[in-house]
Amino acid sequence: MATTPRGGGTAQRPNGASQNKICQFKLVLLGESAVGKSSLVLRFVKGQFHEYQESTIGAAFLTQTLCIDDTAVKFEIWDTAGQERYHSLAPMYYRGAQAAIVVYDIQNQDSFQRAKTWVKELQRQASPNIVIALAGNKADLSNSRVVEYEEAKQYAEENGLLFMETSAKTAMNVNDIFLAIAKKLPKNDGAGNQGSGQGRRLAEVEQNRQTNNCCK
Amino acid sequence: MDEEYDAIVLGTGLKECILSGMLSVSGKKVLHIDRNKYYGGESASITPLDELFTRFNLDAPGEKYGRGRDWNVDLIPKFLMANGSLVKLLIHTGVTRYLEFKSIEGSYVYKGGKIAKVPVDQKEALASDLMGMFEKRRFRNFLIYVQDFREDDPKTWKDFDPTKSNMQALYDKFGLDRNTQDFTGHALALFRDDDYLNDPAVNTIRRIKLYSDSLARYGKSPYLYPMYGLGELPQGFARLSAIYGGTYMLDKPIDEIVLGEGGKVIGVRSGNEVAKCKQVYCDPSYVPDKVRKKGQVIRCICLIDHPIPNTKDALSTQIIIPQKQVGRKSDIYVSLVSYTHQVAAKGWFIGMVSTTVETDNPENEIKPGLDLLGPITQKFVSVSDYYEPVDKGLESHIFISESYDATTHFETTCLDVLDIFKRGTGEEFDFSKIKHELGDEEQ
Repeated sequence: MATTPRGGGTAQRPNGASQNKICQFKLVLLGESAVGKSSLVLRFVKGQFHEYQESTIGAAFLTQTLCIDDTAVKFEIWDTAGQERYHSLAPMYYRGAQAAIVVYDIQNQDSFQRAKTWVKELQRQASPNIVIALAGNKADLSNSRVVEYEEAKQYAEENGLLFMETSAKTAMNVNDIFLAIAKKLPKNDGAGNQGSGQGRRLAEVEQNRQTNNCCK
Repeated sequence: MDEEYDAIVLGTGLKECILSGMLSVSGKKVLHIDRNKYYGGESASITPLDELFTRFNLDAPGEKYGRGRDWNVDLIPKFLMANGSLVKLLIHTGVTRYLEFKSIEGSYVYKGGKIAKVPVDQKEALASDLMGMFEKRRFRNFLIYVQDFREDDPKTWKDFDPTKSNMQALYDKFGLDRNTQDFTGHALALFRDDDYLNDPAVNTIRRIKLYSDSLARYGKSPYLYPMYGLGELPQGFARLSAIYGGTYMLDKPIDEIVLGEGGKVIGVRSGNEVAKCKQVYCDPSYVPDKVRKKGQVIRCICLIDHPIPNTKDALSTQIIIPQKQVGRKSDIYVSLVSYTHQVAAKGWFIGMVSTTVETDNPENEIKPGLDLLGPITQKFVSVSDYYEPVDKGLESHIFISESYDATTHFETTCLDVLDIFKRGTGEEFDFSKIKHELGDEEQ
């Protein structure tokens, strides 16, 4: 992982055929504490669910790859690590993100209002082409629902967001929402590269150097 | 906030963020607070550009400088040595995964009113116009000696004991003249003044090796710079701390550091809330009565619309002006970064000239550096005091970092951090505590 180029890009075969193109994208999760952000990621990446998920998952980021036609879409998924709690998310978090999932809990009106604030924040801070999905999580608990499906759907449509109700517990719509994002992301040549500042990660710099040396 | 913590860290400057990360990784329960609503304190990169003008009490600049949000202007200029301690910390902690870097393109040294590329290998030494023909050969021999030198193998010391004899003696052994000594000590070994001449030569040999190992690592210069500015570094370490359970609060004023019996810290108060803790780690601005002024640094941020003359249009550069060249006691540092690092709008450059203040007219002191930059569109000058703690914090359990000095790289920063960590925890930082696999999980 550490040696993978951040920007990704396409892996072309030597003969020039563009089969098995790999595009890598940074995806950030946003939403109020305890709406199930980490649970969605764990379900998507590992197929796991823990009823009492600890509040942070202790990972820098997780990765998962989806295949769409001849393209492998690799997500580098960033969790907030709890830094959203006192509104102390660093600008670095949004930096170069090409996709975001804004999560709320369908049982919690405040979390929905907060989700709208996050969407505004993304529109202000993140890159203009970012693909944003809204996820109404804990859909398995629809008995105690307070945020209506139609209300959220209408809000999403007005703001150009993808929208699904999800359940990390039952896995409902979890893969689907990532898949919908993957479909919407640009996968032309040079895609999956836009968020990159065009710099290099340190481990990668080293590798490049070795390559260069071989050519000398 | 009303909880009990092992440690409360005040200020989100780079040193405090690295400490916070190391403490969280070591299993400590950490609360990290900043009075500002942004990360980085003194080591922030200011964005958008209007914010920088406001900070220096100037009117907003209008359209001239392109999009304000494209700017991320460092308040304190520094580069990373590619093989230095900060890079090691970044790699060991995995924080490097959040960052992207570029090599600084050129490394220059000032001699007799002009600048010349810093020669580091035999080939460059022989091509350099810094020295005459015979001096070049002597310098080449010196470089070979340093290159072959192994601390653990006295045979490579060649009848010279660098642990006992001083650096001046080593220069004399190779017959190097004053000019060559000057750029070796200041542009290769990166000493700020000439005190090193009387210290054991091995210190200088180590530093020259650091320079050449760093250069060997990534190419054009030994220096690296993070995309989007130095302010990314504290944010990266803050994220490390958060991932290991650290709690973050920005925009939170600190009203009191609460002391208990024997003057030992027991908590931190903000308004009516008190967070209890066993230890406090902070920068000098949070404890004005526990630090003393050590000196002053002048820094001048310059917005310019062209590369530095005579640097082959490099988009990033460092120039060192050794003290003796301009009749001073400490060196003047010039650095340049640009739009290529996503810190300025397209076509713009940020030059920075800094030094340790020696006179009553600090602006005049940096003139030799400013003169190298060519026409300057806008200058922002700051003279800041730098502080050191009055004690080591062993009784109060308040561990205070030193202000950032005038050095051009992060070696002293890391030394301070590692020393504070050791004072606070009683042990060296154990890098093996970082679970690398956590960040590397593939499906």
